[in-house]
Amino acid sequence: MASSHGNTHSEPAKMEQIITEFFAKSLHIILESRSPYVSSRNNYSGEQVLSSPSPSSSPSSSSFKPRDKWFNLALRDCPAALENIDFWRQSNLEPMIVDVILMQRPNDWDPSSFSPKRGLARNSSGKERYYYGSDNDECGCEAKNEKIIERWVLQYESKKSSGNGGGSSGSKRSSSTSSHALYKKSILLLRSLYATVRLLPAYKLFRDLISSAQIRLYNLGHRVSSFVEPFTHREEADMQRFVFTPVDTSCGRLCLSVLYRSSVLDVSSEPSTPISPQIIPEYVGSPMAEPLKRFPSVPVSQSSPSSSPFGRRHSWSYDLYRASPPSMNPSPSPTYSESHASLSKQRSHRLPPAGLPRHLHDETPAAHMKNPSYDEYSPSPVFSPSPSPSPPPPTYVSGGNITKALLRSESAPVSIPASRLSSMPSLPNNQLMLPSPPMKGTRFTVSKHAAHPGLHQTSSTVDKLFSFSKDEPGKMLGVKPSTNSSPSKSFSRSSSRLSFQDDYDDSEFSGPFIVDEDDMVDPGSRPGSFDLPGHSSIPHEPGGIFPVKKSQDAAVGALVHMLKKAPPLRQDISVTTQLPQGSKLHTLRSCMQDTNETSEEPTSNLSSSGLIASKTTADALEELRGYREMKDLLIMQSKISQA
Amino acid sequence: MNCEVCQLKELEVEHFEIREVLRCILHTIFFHRALGLVRPKDIDLELFEITYVQCGDMELERKIDEKIDQFIDKVEKHPNKKNQICLSFYEVKNKQATWFSNKVERLHWEQWYINLNVTQNPKGHSGKSHLPKVEVNPGDTAAEARRARRTALECSLRDILFQIIRFVNEKRDHVPPIPNLDGVSFPYEITISSSSDSAFGMDMFKRMLQTGHPTMLS
Repeated sequence: MASSHGNTHSEPAKMEQIITEFFAKSLHIILESRSPYVSSRNNYSGEQVLSSPSPSSSPSSSSFKPRDKWFNLALRDCPAALENIDFWRQSNLEPMIVDVILMQRPNDWDPSSFSPKRGLARNSSGKERYYYGSDNDECGCEAKNEKIIERWVLQYESKKSSGNGGGSSGSKRSSSTSSHALYKKSILLLRSLYATVRLLPAYKLFRDLISSAQIRLYNLGHRVSSFVEPFTHREEADMQRFVFTPVDTSCGRLCLSVLYRSSVLDVSSEPSTPISPQIIPEYVGSPMAEPLKRFPSVPVSQSSPSSSPFGRRHSWSYDLYRASPPSMNPSPSPTYSESHASLSKQRSHRLPPAGLPRHLHDETPAAHMKNPSYDEYSPSPVFSPSPSPSPPPPTYVSGGNITKALLRSESAPVSIPASRLSSMPSLPNNQLMLPSPPMKGTRFTVSKHAAHPGLHQTSSTVDKLFSFSKDEPGKMLGVKPSTNSSPSKSFSRSSSRLSFQDDYDDSEFSGPFIVDEDDMVDPGSRPGSFDLPGHSSIPHEPGGIFPVKKSQDAAVGALVHMLKKAPPLRQDISVTTQLPQGSKLHTLRSCMQDTNETSEEPTSNLSSSGLIASKTTADALEELRGYREMKDLLIMQSKISQA
Repeated sequence: MNCEVCQLKELEVEHFEIREVLRCILHTIFFHRALGLVRPKDIDLELFEITYVQCGDMELERKIDEKIDQFIDKVEKHPNKKNQICLSFYEVKNKQATWFSNKVERLHWEQWYINLNVTQNPKGHSGKSHLPKVEVNPGDTAAEARRARRTALECSLRDILFQIIRFVNEKRDHVPPIPNLDGVSFPYEITISSSSDSAFGMDMFKRMLQTGHPTMLS
């Protein structure tokens, strides 16, 4: 009720506030049932034990958050919405256009290219954000099929000046009633919006996406902006419009309408693909699996010991090939997603290596052309460290719940990819110029590097070190565990993972780490065992809730797969699978090289690993020092051994 | 006060579909009229590909189910009749006695009529009963017919939900101020009638008198 806003505010201010909140709520309602990253449905009733919702969101008796009180409608957490709305708030009641995008995958799409990620981006003006459910949109290696299936247009048409309530309406006589009336009508409008989003065809897609363990050949993304290209007539002809009756205010009116495709359903009927070996690899990257990646976030935020197993899940599930974008840009600023996008683009090219290496180069441009908006940003990963206003630690703390959650959610996956990325520059070089195979040392150092924000300047040192370590992989590896123990688990994890990866290059070395890797995978990453513990811990961590929620379904799906004991989920899951893939790896590396070229300075990437976030500069320096010492030691050793 | 009336399109349902269809419609209406603080609950229908929203009020849910039971009872007792459920919202006014002389008066400000036509001998059933005698083919067509019917009903039901949404969108001015923060904010009543009931006409008449000038059939 109107009573929820204080009497102290002037009438125009109240109205403006209502309007602003109306935008926020609308966006929340829409994305809550369109963005598969939030499971809006997991907690809708107690019957889903697995999804044991956080206390704050499930029982209706529970206390309502302040946000819930707006318009008397309590919604589930929706990070996507929260984040976008924070953004929008800075714009002065500009129109808000939410596009819901259906991304279909071809049947033969490459699994790794699909590893879902969330890219969000904005242009420099900060008015536009892209929020994709999966990165396939940037993937040039497949015929991408992307279409807007819904366009929500939310607009405040002011009669007078800009709708910021500059007091012009003070002259209105019945101003107090009008704010009450506005509020009531907004409530009514939002109720119908809430019901409507669930009746439109796209909802079925969303529901299938989040609620079934089946693999879907599509995903949903969304884009929030204040300006969009209008549809062509032909496009619009395929769409239907539903216009909600506008709410009149004393100085304007609130308009909400949706343009939607009524023929979305052909997609949803097809996608219930039978689980076949061919498809299984996708599962890891399937939308349902995506949440899993974000699991690590929870532990991280809690800084509980469990974080390591969780983190691990990540590593096997998707990072192998990933140059994860977040890592590059720890800053919460939207830009980082951009980097995400561009990187993943490249990554995707890289990934398909097995079948499609030749496509790699042709398709890159195509992808860019298709996503012009991304183009502008694609370089961002490289530069992001510098522009990002806040250094890692502040980042972590500063950005309210939302950013934190986002950050966290990505941080775990990030660390690994970062190291991976960082290793790329050197890897390809080695590959191409010096055929010397063993990369372990290299990677090791690199990953170390990644963990330390302060390190980037030392890249030269690293390189040196790197060349040494090459010769002494075993030693390097041996050092690793002890060294890493302090900085962070994920760090060590990443290094082990790397060494793991090495194994196919270097068959002579099949160290403990491989085993380690497998072991790690088991406890944490097995979806089945995973969910319960994960959830039990979640409710207490309000910030970390969202990432986890949705993954229930994913976990279940994963479990099913596991039970079926289908062929290896993905090449990188176990060593055995990977071994035969040496050739792939090569391709991968050359792809990585591409990445490097794009991102001119590998070190910049390194500097921004998500891990760093929690460390202070002092810590970093300290560690750097430690590493230097270690490096010296290693050099010495290698000299000795060479001698 | 204005009383807005919404006559929902008639639905032809089989007996076993009554409950779900009614729940879906009633809860959807309530969701739009429970203007207090609610935590919505999404419910997927089992028979149809439709998701509707409840306002998450246990008491309301119980009452709705109760009324649906009554309705089903009635349908069983008086088959072959068109049945109607009326959901009305009112305000209680302690106004002076008019010549109708109720101290406590219910001022209805909105009425929803849900019209269900319960088919007694669904084609599907007859198909089934013949199944032993006849071969696969007729059974198939029966199943086919059933599926077609189901799809048609789903469409109609969806239409009705949109009808509700359109109605609540168009008619906002007559909704009284929200009295409190309880989820189900307005008093309401649900009545059941069937078209051949002589009482039905009477009931309508009374209600019209009570509520002033119903704007008929939206």
